[in-house]
Amino acid sequence: MAFLEKSQDRVLTHTFPGMAHRPAFMAAIPQLMYAWEAKVIDTFKQIQTRLEATPHLLRLGRLFSETVLIEVGGDEFYLSFEKGRIVSVVEGPSRKTPWRFALRTDAGALNKFWEARPEPGFHDIFGLVKIGRGRIDGDILSLVKNLRFFKEVLTLARAKEELAA
Amino acid sequence: MSIEPITGRYVTVTVGGAPRRIYFEEAGQGRPVICLHTAGADTRQWRHLMNDAEITASNRLIAFDMPWHGKSLPPEGFETQEYLLTTEAYIETVLAVIDGLGLDRPVLAGCSMGGRIALQIAALHPEKFSGFIAIEASDFQPAWYDIDWFHRPDAHGGEMGAALVSANISPYAPNSERWNTLWMFMQSGPGVFRGDLSFYTRDDSLIPRLPTIDTRATPVHIIVGAYDLTCTPEDAERTAKAIPGATLAVMDELGHFPMSEHPEGFRPFFVDALEKMPSPAAKAA
Repeated sequence: MAFLEKSQDRVLTHTFPGMAHRPAFMAAIPQLMYAWEAKVIDTFKQIQTRLEATPHLLRLGRLFSETVLIEVGGDEFYLSFEKGRIVSVVEGPSRKTPWRFALRTDAGALNKFWEARPEPGFHDIFGLVKIGRGRIDGDILSLVKNLRFFKEVLTLARAKEELAA
Repeated sequence: MSIEPITGRYVTVTVGGAPRRIYFEEAGQGRPVICLHTAGADTRQWRHLMNDAEITASNRLIAFDMPWHGKSLPPEGFETQEYLLTTEAYIETVLAVIDGLGLDRPVLAGCSMGGRIALQIAALHPEKFSGFIAIEASDFQPAWYDIDWFHRPDAHGGEMGAALVSANISPYAPNSERWNTLWMFMQSGPGVFRGDLSFYTRDDSLIPRLPTIDTRATPVHIIVGAYDLTCTPEDAERTAKAIPGATLAVMDELGHFPMSEHPEGFRPFFVDALEKMPSPAAKAA
């Protein structure tokens, strides 16, 4: 059972920084946004800020300029990276935003993933896939080539006990 | 300053009709215990237990680097070979090393692919050993990744392999040991992790052999970490149930490389496993 699709199966065209902007007519209306949606996007923005203060990740990601789709409970968030920096965090949906690879999960799983010491399965993005709470698709090889960088970027939102460990 | 009690030497044995210069380390005295490392790594995974004076007071721990790993060179002509480990070659190597070192029925302890091969040997060559400790070991798991990712000209297989296997390390592991564990994967030679995985993820020959293991003659104890995604507690439990008389311990806060990622957490489970193995005195009686 291979629950990750092979990289050659679905390789999308290269994305360019700055393409992941939501069309104006799809702009979010803040007062209609669910609380957890606001929290998720806030967390990604927190990751964006922490990444700027994490020199080793900026060094590891210096060749990574891609847009990554994070889907949380069916809601889309586009993280656009430019040479290791997150230059935009944009909420979808958007059919016009090319992305390189996607992590699809749910809010409960993501919250557990961001705990200081997650339960087994929630401790890694591949764990989420293994326990049926996540799916990774798109250009998997791009993810694997940048796997340490991407996984460490996502864990920048983990509770501080572990960051200090 | 402190000098560790671990000593390292080389032994040349014949595997597949050709010589193999094998690097091995040992510490302690008494009952011999052969320790097998995981895929893509080497003997250093066992260093914490080998430096444990209480354990080595009555156990002679011996770990060796498989050919292509650590300080054991690949065979002559490797530059044109595709490294693909097989169950048969792995078993032949283990048997050649215990013969080369003149060991009398050691305990065999192996982790991950080493645990898998320990169970194969428990089924096929039990007379040469006194018992088996199979860590993060199970009957069979197909790959949940594409093993070809880890050997390609446009990316560093070691770095990718380390990033992948970090999924198998517990968040309870001390950060320094997490990274020491991953460093070994980063250092792994080109194509070696892939070549180890090829047998581990494709050869399911152990499944029908499990019920034939006689644990009355040679006990089998399986240990598994709850954070292991590659060999899950469910995989280990299924395997233990298929071996009449096998015992199982689940480590709630450990992952796939317990002796390396979290030595303190693993120690009591390894001590318990050693206690389940026949003692040299019992064997003499």
